[in-house]
Amino acid sequence: MENNTDTIIGINVTLKGNLHNKGSIQVNGNIEGEVRSDENVLIGETAKIKGPVIAKKIEVSGEVKGLIDASEKLELNSSGRVYGDISAKSLVIKEGAIFVGKSTSSSTPEKQGELNKVPAEKEETPKAESVENKDKLGFFSKK
Amino acid sequence: MYYYIFDLKKCRKHSQVADIKNYLASLGISGEFTYPSAATNIEELVDLGLSKKYNTIVGVGGDEIADRIASKLIGKSEAMGLIPLEASSDLAHLIGTANWKDAAENLRYRRIIETRIGMSANGSGFLTNLNLDLRNPTEVTLEFRDYLVQARATSVTISNFSQGIKKIAPDHLDIVMKNVAPKKAGLMATFSSLFGGKNESLGNSIFRARSLRLFTNSQVNLLNGDYIVAKTPQLVESSDDDLRLIVGKKT
Repeated sequence: MENNTDTIIGINVTLKGNLHNKGSIQVNGNIEGEVRSDENVLIGETAKIKGPVIAKKIEVSGEVKGLIDASEKLELNSSGRVYGDISAKSLVIKEGAIFVGKSTSSSTPEKQGELNKVPAEKEETPKAESVENKDKLGFFSKK
Repeated sequence: MYYYIFDLKKCRKHSQVADIKNYLASLGISGEFTYPSAATNIEELVDLGLSKKYNTIVGVGGDEIADRIASKLIGKSEAMGLIPLEASSDLAHLIGTANWKDAAENLRYRRIIETRIGMSANGSGFLTNLNLDLRNPTEVTLEFRDYLVQARATSVTISNFSQGIKKIAPDHLDIVMKNVAPKKAGLMATFSSLFGGKNESLGNSIFRARSLRLFTNSQVNLLNGDYIVAKTPQLVESSDDDLRLIVGKKT
């Protein structure tokens, strides 16, 4: 059992509601609701999340249907599937990952403030054209 | 000043009671020695000790006597001590020793910590862990303040203190649930077993919370070791108040 993570959602576990943690969260199961951490969120290959994910650093190897807001870094691994808009100061999308949505950088302070108001901001912002990025050429891969 | 309650079931032989009494006398911390019976249970003995103005109630035995005394002393100024006899390793770790002579020495040095305990809604407390008595994988629902968790669990442990779990907050319980992870077939299964069975650990969950409600389809016992503390459905929470517990120097 990993002890350096505050909360771990195991495979075949279903969580409904809002999971808010000061410490890190690891997800291997299913979540319907908001996942929010002051630290890191690690979304494993077997994980499925329907809802927003908000944290300092987020690593996605599973599926997320919802907005992702990483105040520091978002890493979308090759098995990762994201259907929703993403906001991150630093973004890494690896070859094979699926991303359908729009991405924005939250590096400027004004933008960061806006992005923290997640649900309201989504309605106000004009919807960008969806892009399916399979990144076959590895443009977004970090070497 | 010391009020001792012996759990005679945990004494290997009758002479052990005399040995402990003699050793306590040699340390200068003798006191009143009592034994639960059909007429007077552990809780009633604690009340008697408190009414006689003893400032330290000491359990001599294992997890059951420790938990039952702790439940009565929570939020009180009187301290609790324990001389462990067949106590769980977690309880021994909490008080700093599994050896009854060392524990007796610790009583004399009187180093006191203030600690929370876990409490079930029926008023039973626990210093270390509660385990859901699951013989087979069972549908379990855990209801926390902001979310609900459902799984087919093989084990559920609610921990107030456990050596294997890093506690993140003194007033939080740690809930560890294991459930059945899907088996990989053929070559994948071979690889998985060769490289440490990662799939198995994927079935582990951990949650931290002040309180939770446990539900199962049919009633299931909540055990500490081999004694029943409560049954599902049950509310379990961290105590609001502290217990003053005598521990070893290194704890």
